[in-house]
Amino acid sequence: MARTASGRPLTPWLLIVPSLALALFIIGYPLYNIVFQSLHEVSRFGLIKDFCGLDNFRKVMADPVFMASLWRTLWWTLGVVGGTVLVSVPVALILHQDFYGRGVARTIVMLPWSVSLTMTAIVWRWAFNDEYGMVNVTLQRLGVISSPIHWLATSNWAFPVEILVGVLVSVPFTVTIFLGGLSSVPGDIYEAARMDGATAWQQFRKLTLPLLRPFINMAIVLNVIYVFNSFPIIWVMTQGGPSNSTHILVTYLYERGFRLGKPGEAAAISLVMLTMLFCFTLLYLRIQPKEGEGS
Amino acid sequence: MMRIDRSKLRRSIICWLVLLPLVVVVLFPFAVMFLTAVKPSEEVFVYPARWLPTTYRWANFTDMWEATKFGVALKNSLYVSISSTILAIAVSIPAAYAMARFPFQGKGLYRQFLLVTQMLSPILLVIGLFRLAAMIHWGEGNLVDKHISVIVAYGAFNIAFAVWMMSSYFATIPKDLEESAWLEGCGRARAVWKVFLPLAVPAMTVTAIFTFINAWNEFAVVYTLIRSDANKTLTVQITDLVAGRYTVEWHQVMAATLLATLPVSVLFAWLQRYLVKGLALGAVK
Repeated sequence: MARTASGRPLTPWLLIVPSLALALFIIGYPLYNIVFQSLHEVSRFGLIKDFCGLDNFRKVMADPVFMASLWRTLWWTLGVVGGTVLVSVPVALILHQDFYGRGVARTIVMLPWSVSLTMTAIVWRWAFNDEYGMVNVTLQRLGVISSPIHWLATSNWAFPVEILVGVLVSVPFTVTIFLGGLSSVPGDIYEAARMDGATAWQQFRKLTLPLLRPFINMAIVLNVIYVFNSFPIIWVMTQGGPSNSTHILVTYLYERGFRLGKPGEAAAISLVMLTMLFCFTLLYLRIQPKEGEGS
Repeated sequence: MMRIDRSKLRRSIICWLVLLPLVVVVLFPFAVMFLTAVKPSEEVFVYPARWLPTTYRWANFTDMWEATKFGVALKNSLYVSISSTILAIAVSIPAAYAMARFPFQGKGLYRQFLLVTQMLSPILLVIGLFRLAAMIHWGEGNLVDKHISVIVAYGAFNIAFAVWMMSSYFATIPKDLEESAWLEGCGRARAVWKVFLPLAVPAMTVTAIFTFINAWNEFAVVYTLIRSDANKTLTVQITDLVAGRYTVEWHQVMAATLLATLPVSVLFAWLQRYLVKGLALGAVK
């Protein structure tokens, strides 16, 4: 199948070099710099002072807000990714059906993807406003609640609300992946299953789900990476508050680095996060059944 | 032609009913944006609040335009997004072509590298990116608060997506066309120029538009690197109207988010099927 390369073996590398150089420059230097800063005492204005070993890491670890944020990041990732997959599988199955208005339905479901996370967060922050927000207005009109709930000012509510917003914005991308997976399933195997008298649930369990499995895995991995790094939703809606109860690692990092003027510690948090992502990827590759090196 | 199929109609009703909660939640923010944007300011803060305005105050948009310096931010957003898209596409086209057409040593490695660049999101590197911008001399000072720094960063972070999308489309363009051009004595480079690129224009356009949307919507990098009001893009400008303020002019903020969002949403709605197809093609490979 694979034809031998015509032309010099150097050509593909020459074609790749510009993109490689640009990406290496923008990612490589900051990465090096973060390692460097994390090992040095850095002033508020970015002045590098003495080498301080692992002091930055120690300071960060000693901060109870860091540990709380670390756990909250795990809940955040688990909540958003889990919720997203649970919502997206049925939605993708429906959007794969042939029904009137499917094009419109697909467009609507995809819509949150087109909106900047920042804008989404701003609009929801307003919608969840205590007295004047439309969420409280609507719930009161419907008689679900009798007095306004202070959604974003209450620790117990703010974080779950943010998780829901996170799910909402992650659904379109995930549905897209699943639709791609579903369209690669040949229709005639369902025909055959129906002939054999399989119920809809059996078809789903025995045919659709196994065929969708690789796509679900891919969606989980990509979403874990995106959600783990997701900054605007929490930053815009609550900035980590009230009283640090909604900080995840990225918002904590940003606050340390750019608000509290501790770039060295922020760099250390970056490295902790990178390590976590790295471990996750390794874990995934371990668990992932060998499907043959696809290329 | 329009003979309504009974069973399909029933299925349609069920499908729409199941989708209904999601549809409501998706459209809810758009309704909030629109209805707040056209409310007279004195109706925004009344308790108990109401959904519908008594009069539609379209002048909110012109007031907002002045008050929030929307025009400046819009120009900056356009400039940064268009430039970074051109940069990302320009370096990604040859790479995508190589991925689609050549088997070569290190192809898998390059693909993994792209994956890693996706994993290292800008926010994790933002401390280092800031230092990089502060380190490079440019004109009077350095690259902090300069658009060029944001453009180059966006360009780099969009390479993975652009290469993925374009190479999966490029692979669907038959190789025979180029090969027959070689037989007619056309050089390889000329064949690419004359035969391949014209066919690849749709794929490049779609990829460019999504890269543009990515840049348009980005927040963390521009929030960190751009400091002065004159250089801020829409996402940052509008966030600044809300963040850390006691009084927020919500009708103006919603008017601004609506104007910043709607054109992109329409563009996206129109093109989303290409994205579905492109990602699916890329995923299968």
